[in-house]
Amino acid sequence: MLKEKYTTEIADILSRYPVKRSALLPLLYLAQREQGYVSEAAMQEIAGILKLTPPQVYETVTFYTMLNLKPLGKFHLQVCKSLMCALVGSDILIGWLEKKLGIKAGETTHDGLFTISKVECLGACGTGPMMQVNDDYYERLTEEKVDRILADLKRDGTSALKTGPFMWPEPAPAKRGA
Amino acid sequence: MPNVAVETVKLTIDGQSLTVPKGTLVIEAARQVGVMVPHFCYHPKLKPDANCRMCLVEIEKIPKLQTACSTPVAEGMVVRTATTVVNEAHKSVLEFILANHPLDCPVCDQGGRCDLQDFSHEYTPTTSRFIEVKRVFQKEYFSPLIEKQMNRCVQCLRCVRYCDEVMDVKALAPVNRGTMTEIKHFGTHELDCEFCGGCIQICPVGAITSRLSMYEFRPWMLKRADTVCTYCGDGCQITLQTKDNQLIEVNSSLGAGRNNGDLCARGYFGYHATTHPDRLTTPLVRRDGRLVPATWDEALEYVAETFAQLKLKHGAQVFAGVITARCTNEDLYLFQKFMRLAVGTNKLDSSARYGQVNAVRALCRIQGTHRWPVTFEDIAAAEALLLVGTNITEANPITGLRVKEAVKKHGATLLTVESLQPTVGTISNIANLAAHHFTAHPDQYKPVVLGLIKAVIEEGLADQPLSQKAPAYLQAIRDAVHALSWPTIEAATGSSAASFKEAARAFARTARAVIIVGAGVLREPGASGLAATLQDLLLLTGHHGRPGCGLAPLAEQNNDQGAVEMGTVTECLPGPCDLDDQEARARVSALWQEDLPQGPGLTIPEILEEARGKTLKALYLVGEDPVGSLPESARAKEALEGVEFLVCQELFLTETAQMAHVVLPACSYAEKDGTFTNTEGHVQQVRHAIEPVGESRPDWEIFSDLAGLMGYPLEYGDAKDLLKEIRALVPGYNLPGPTPKPSRPDHTAVDRYLQQGYAEDLGERYRYTPPVKAAGRLTLLVDQSLFHSGKFSTKAKGLLHLQAEGAVSLNPADAARLGIVEGDRVLLSNELGHCRTTAKVWDRIPAGLCRFPEHFDQEARRLLSVSIDVATGVPYYRSAQVKVEKAQ
Ligand code: SF4
Ligand code: SF4
Ligand code: SF4
Ligand code: FES
Ligand code: FES
Repeated sequence: MLKEKYTTEIADILSRYPVKRSALLPLLYLAQREQGYVSEAAMQEIAGILKLTPPQVYETVTFYTMLNLKPLGKFHLQVCKSLMCALVGSDILIGWLEKKLGIKAGETTHDGLFTISKVECLGACGTGPMMQVNDDYYERLTEEKVDRILADLKRDGTSALKTGPFMWPEPAPAKRGA
Repeated sequence: MPNVAVETVKLTIDGQSLTVPKGTLVIEAARQVGVMVPHFCYHPKLKPDANCRMCLVEIEKIPKLQTACSTPVAEGMVVRTATTVVNEAHKSVLEFILANHPLDCPVCDQGGRCDLQDFSHEYTPTTSRFIEVKRVFQKEYFSPLIEKQMNRCVQCLRCVRYCDEVMDVKALAPVNRGTMTEIKHFGTHELDCEFCGGCIQICPVGAITSRLSMYEFRPWMLKRADTVCTYCGDGCQITLQTKDNQLIEVNSSLGAGRNNGDLCARGYFGYHATTHPDRLTTPLVRRDGRLVPATWDEALEYVAETFAQLKLKHGAQVFAGVITARCTNEDLYLFQKFMRLAVGTNKLDSSARYGQVNAVRALCRIQGTHRWPVTFEDIAAAEALLLVGTNITEANPITGLRVKEAVKKHGATLLTVESLQPTVGTISNIANLAAHHFTAHPDQYKPVVLGLIKAVIEEGLADQPLSQKAPAYLQAIRDAVHALSWPTIEAATGSSAASFKEAARAFARTARAVIIVGAGVLREPGASGLAATLQDLLLLTGHHGRPGCGLAPLAEQNNDQGAVEMGTVTECLPGPCDLDDQEARARVSALWQEDLPQGPGLTIPEILEEARGKTLKALYLVGEDPVGSLPESARAKEALEGVEFLVCQELFLTETAQMAHVVLPACSYAEKDGTFTNTEGHVQQVRHAIEPVGESRPDWEIFSDLAGLMGYPLEYGDAKDLLKEIRALVPGYNLPGPTPKPSRPDHTAVDRYLQQGYAEDLGERYRYTPPVKAAGRLTLLVDQSLFHSGKFSTKAKGLLHLQAEGAVSLNPADAARLGIVEGDRVLLSNELGHCRTTAKVWDRIPAGLCRFPEHFDQEARRLLSVSIDVATGVPYYRSAQVKVEKAQ
């Protein structure tokens, strides 16, 4: 139960919104942080907290690609497939990932390390094709970069090629490109 | 409605000028001048969503096309709905929709009444520029009664919005995004909701359909009959649709009846009860101890002869009759006439005895009239609503919708005093909409109401004029509530004095207030007193007698109100007038050209008592099954065994009918014509949809034939003939209009009450004695559930899919304390007996209470004792104290 474990954090989130329903996304993030995905039990619990029905919580989870309904690999490769990235080859990028990892988009590798998802615009339209791995951005991707990133992730759990996250208002350290 | 001058706006639509109220949407204004703007997502019951873009129109001075469904009219607006640009827009929208639509019209149940078909026919060229593969959704099981074909969905979200805005259920979710948006429930769970069928009815295409009639028809093959649902007192208009004398489906169109096309699960999915294979098809006569088929002539002659003999031997006072308030007014009226004239006794009663009598008595006593002083429209327009013991969503779902409308659409303040807790689930919960909620066990309604009255007095909210008009009355109430201390009320109700005061302020300071009261009050001891006290509350706050305000007691059965008005409860003559009202007697006997019988009437409990004492020789039961519906402690079986001649007129061979000497097969509502009077006193037409099942006959025809055979001809050509006679005796039965006129309180009656009538029982009504409860027991409440109505609906296969057996619902904390989990077998017991059943754990049940559906109470009835209201003769048997434990 989230309520027991995160009593104060939940109270804090709820206190921020005059309309309780608005606390839905932050609570879903909390649930996802806890389990790596949003479970049915979590949706039911959040519905109870916000006086929503479970279908109302469920519809929100399915709307946002950042929220997952299934357990994921350790690294969640979220490839933007929206228009700008599509124009510069997000399809090809997905093709590389699928081939190199031996899975289809939406699937997880057997070792539980990688999951590929196609997601909507991540606001890095000028530097596509791009993907987000867990909380980090990787932009202007080429096949060679993809190889390095996958190897780095496997070995170190992170990669120097990452360009994010960019947190407003803190400017990100200017460490772009390869 | 308050008479404020409505601001209007003048505009032109397709060259026609018109004036409409400000705020009207262009699409609605257009409809008024006969211009239909094509639309999918717009629906008059829903807030504009403007998501489908089908309704684009040209408006002068606005450069781009506008959605007619979300644009309000403006002064001087010039709208064009049929220009080339507009037509092009319609075409493009349809081309996009059809890019994905499977065009499986030949196997779609909506084919022939589908908006997409109609608009495509009107606007689309026959070619599409899309060559892409169509979207395909995984087929998945949705529910036993509702089928989804998401490939057909046009994503207008009408279903989702209806389920939320109108039903307040919120069981449907648009899942995922864009083209792949799909309507689902919760994950892969099958649909769990109220099954009102509203999403089926409101879907403009065939994406959501009924599984009960799937693939059985093409819409144009169906014959339609507009009639009235019999599953509760709301009296919804339904259209029964038939093919070859088979009931195929039910719907209700927008604007139809008092329900405006909305239905509940019983109305929408419960229609198979009438054609259940167990229906009686021929008369049965007992020969050598067994019931064997007989012809109508044999059966009726046998009944008439036996009646005549018994009457000759013992006189008319050894007869009694009881009829169900599910029958039409015509049936009920003729039944009492038959009993009074052909048989010659006043010993007749109807199932209105079980609660409605309390309601009517309380209304008559104070407002002097026997009908609601308000209509459904007044409920929707109320500023404050107080619900007491209604269980409204389950008992009277459509009245419930008007309450939801008042709160959700018009911002009314809702106060609830109900036996459920405000928790969320995908069955709506009226307490969730309440600004002030009091959870009440059956014995707590009274202290809560007294608390509210005390708060009104102490907060100085009492109506000023009243203190001049009826100072003694006001003083009496003042004294009575002073004698009740807040600590006593707080201990009795579990609610704080402050919460009563807040609630009282919210209620008293409004211009329009309605109190709705249901079975929780009307079918529990003290009913008529509490219903009177609730009218004190209205009098005190100055609402009593004001238009749009008043007390609205809910009728449980479809024609409870009619039964009273037809004089089919023992204390009343048609009118209703008191049985010993000499003027009324004279009027009735003048019309009947016959003297009315002398002698007292008998209520149902008294009839059983006389039967047990063997002073009753013959009993005529029409649609009533005392053995199968009363608690064992009422000893109905023993009573009926003592009756020399028992005649049952029935749809099914009930437990009581099995004991009868003659069983006469009657028609169900689907096979007969007549009228029903709903809970608000609105008289509505019942029309047959199918031919009588087997040899069954309408009830009134049977009475008429029997009377003839007994030498007292009561002849009528048809039900309309009977209605004519009814009109001569009962006011309010003229040609039914679309909206009822609420009854205006009779001021002399109100004055009589205020001057002296109150004093009769005020002391008693305002006294509170805490109930004695044995430790470790729960209060068992045998109550109405959403998916059934009486025992009749348990013959409907659709409803059995939703609920096929009883289970006892427990509060989670009680269950945990007793070591019981969902699905466990449990034993309920008390001094009277015991019963085994399955446990359900439901957070809506308050601690200390448990609930069992009355429709499946064969065994649970053993636990109930019967107490009888001394004033109204109503038998109460809804609640008991029981021990609950895990069964070994
Ligand atoms: S309650 Fe059920 S049947 Fe009614 S609209 Fe909602 S989902 Fe449909
Ligand atoms: S199922 Fe029907 S009502 Fe619901 S969104 Fe689809 S087309 Fe509209
Ligand atoms: S049971 Fe009552 S609310 Fe439901 S459809 Fe019938 S009359 Fe209407
Ligand atoms: S389109 Fe890919 S990040 Fe915006
Ligand atoms: S009907 Fe106007 S946008 Fe759908």
